[in-house]
Amino acid sequence: MSTFLINVGIGLATAAILALSAVAFTLEYAVSRVANFAHGELLTIGAYAAYSGQAIFHQNIAAAALIAAAAGALAGLGLNAGLIEQFRGRSAITVFIATLGASLVLQNSLLIIYGAANVTYTFSQGSLHHVGPFLWTTSDLRVIGSALLIAGLLYALLQRTRFGKAVRAISEDRALAQVSGIPARRVVMQAWGLAGALAGFAGFALAETIGTFGPSLGFSFLLLTITASVAGGIGRPYATLGGAVVVGLAVELAGAYTSSAYQNVYGFGLLVVLMLALPNGIFVRRSAVAVRA
Amino acid sequence: MMYWVSVVTEAGIFAILALGLDMVWGWCGDFDLAFYGYLALGSYMTMVLTIGKPVPPTQYILGLSLPYPLAVVLADIAVVAFAAIIGAVTLRNLREIYFAVTTLSAVSALYLFVQVYTPLFDGYNGLFGLVNPGQAALNLTYNGYRTFFMAVVLGLLGLAYLLVQRVSGSPFGRMLRAVRDDEQAARAYGRGIFFAKYRAYLFGAALAGLAGGLLAVFISAFNTSAWAPQELLLIYAAILVGGRGNPRGVIIGVFVVYVAFVELTRFLPFGDAMRQILIGLLIILMLRFRPEGIFAERPGGARAGGARAGGARAGRTGNQVGEVADPAAARAAGTKAAGT
Repeated sequence: MSTFLINVGIGLATAAILALSAVAFTLEYAVSRVANFAHGELLTIGAYAAYSGQAIFHQNIAAAALIAAAAGALAGLGLNAGLIEQFRGRSAITVFIATLGASLVLQNSLLIIYGAANVTYTFSQGSLHHVGPFLWTTSDLRVIGSALLIAGLLYALLQRTRFGKAVRAISEDRALAQVSGIPARRVVMQAWGLAGALAGFAGFALAETIGTFGPSLGFSFLLLTITASVAGGIGRPYATLGGAVVVGLAVELAGAYTSSAYQNVYGFGLLVVLMLALPNGIFVRRSAVAVRA
Repeated sequence: MMYWVSVVTEAGIFAILALGLDMVWGWCGDFDLAFYGYLALGSYMTMVLTIGKPVPPTQYILGLSLPYPLAVVLADIAVVAFAAIIGAVTLRNLREIYFAVTTLSAVSALYLFVQVYTPLFDGYNGLFGLVNPGQAALNLTYNGYRTFFMAVVLGLLGLAYLLVQRVSGSPFGRMLRAVRDDEQAARAYGRGIFFAKYRAYLFGAALAGLAGGLLAVFISAFNTSAWAPQELLLIYAAILVGGRGNPRGVIIGVFVVYVAFVELTRFLPFGDAMRQILIGLLIILMLRFRPEGIFAERPGGARAGGARAGGARAGRTGNQVGEVADPAAARAAGTKAAGT
């Protein structure tokens, strides 16, 4: 029983990172109607930015996290202005393929800059803490704590501010939002900056938890991110948080009870099953209509 | 000289894969990311059917010593059977991004599974030992065999092209395009959408499996570092350059892109990473500025006469409704059907 709960604890730590990444992915989808395949690279950029930054801000983990978020935000803005906006009005699949291309470009640019070998942060993972029945490292606690905090802030931002209202309006209908006087272009841009910041921070948290990472860090996390987003229902930020918890727990527990080598196989298998059985997410009871012809 | 033999052979193999992939993407409009898995599976299966019993600690399934051509055929059957499962579950309801992501996760699961489950194809280490099958029987030198093999690849590419071209101009090919351009209209017109797509999908997978069987000889060893699902993007870039839906354009696209990349990146720093960056840029730029490719698909099938002949051949497949000669007709029919 206690091993089970420890694994649940690890699952929750994974879920926290997954939640940040998936919420960012879903925010991108909400404002631009694009499944951003280069999303994984936003995470990787954040992780590498923090890696570069740790030399300057010696051992200051908060500064590293901020640098990761800032770099992610810049990358998100750049991706939207340089790619997504250029493809406005094109079919969803065309934009998707373009982001696939962008993913190749970014991932390999990072490989050229930082080399193919894995790098490691020098932050201490901290000691182990018993919290209730769970066993977490200091860095797990930091990740879970900041994920909860960010989720709360995001909720307030989307529900209580003008910006949030505009984002929700645009995600319903961009053209209609525009004629209602919402500066759609600017709000979309800001949303991408926000999503990039979330993704950059998630990338830093992911790399810090794993301990060592390379240029394909975010890419290999992308399919899990998409799984969590689909589980929650793409384009719905709050449900995505729930989806992340379900996917994080499912993957960690399945890995713990068989072999961790198969962990991602389960994740991908889960995505296939979700796509076929519940393409609108596990939290909706609408009939599954995936045909968009 | 041998360098070019090698380049042309590899380009020819990828052109066969591209012809198969184009049936799914170019004709049916489904962006499939699982196709490199079919090529890999064809390669692995060809290996285990030809290289004989595994020597411990190496382990893999089957381990037969069949003649190479028979092995390729059997391997291809296995590939089509596998694609039949993937296609049956994905083609029915999933479209666009949903289809792309699902096929990608299926192939990623396959990739990881092959990598960690050693009893299948010996995991990371992979398979090796298929060296120039039939060289002794043909009484050829090593270089002579490689040239001969290039001729075999180009011959098969020619056959595949003729076959694909024939299907492309047939009522079946035009029907697929009608489905691609307006699925609702084609459905309203009484088409069996799923089975049409499914047949094309299996046809395409068979070409991918054949390419895999040929690749097994070309590189004579195959493991998980020899392939990754992302490699498929090079093929997509080539199809984009050549012109999707146009078999001749696709073949030219593969040769142009493949040779250009092999040649260009020899003179550029950072080797493979630079190559991947250029592939990514090529995809983005083609999509942005010339999505129809250099050799655009001609309306009503790849042959110029396709549209004209289409009307005359209507109903040849025995359907009660005439075949859709071109997308516009399908749309018109759809509007009519929707109005009633």
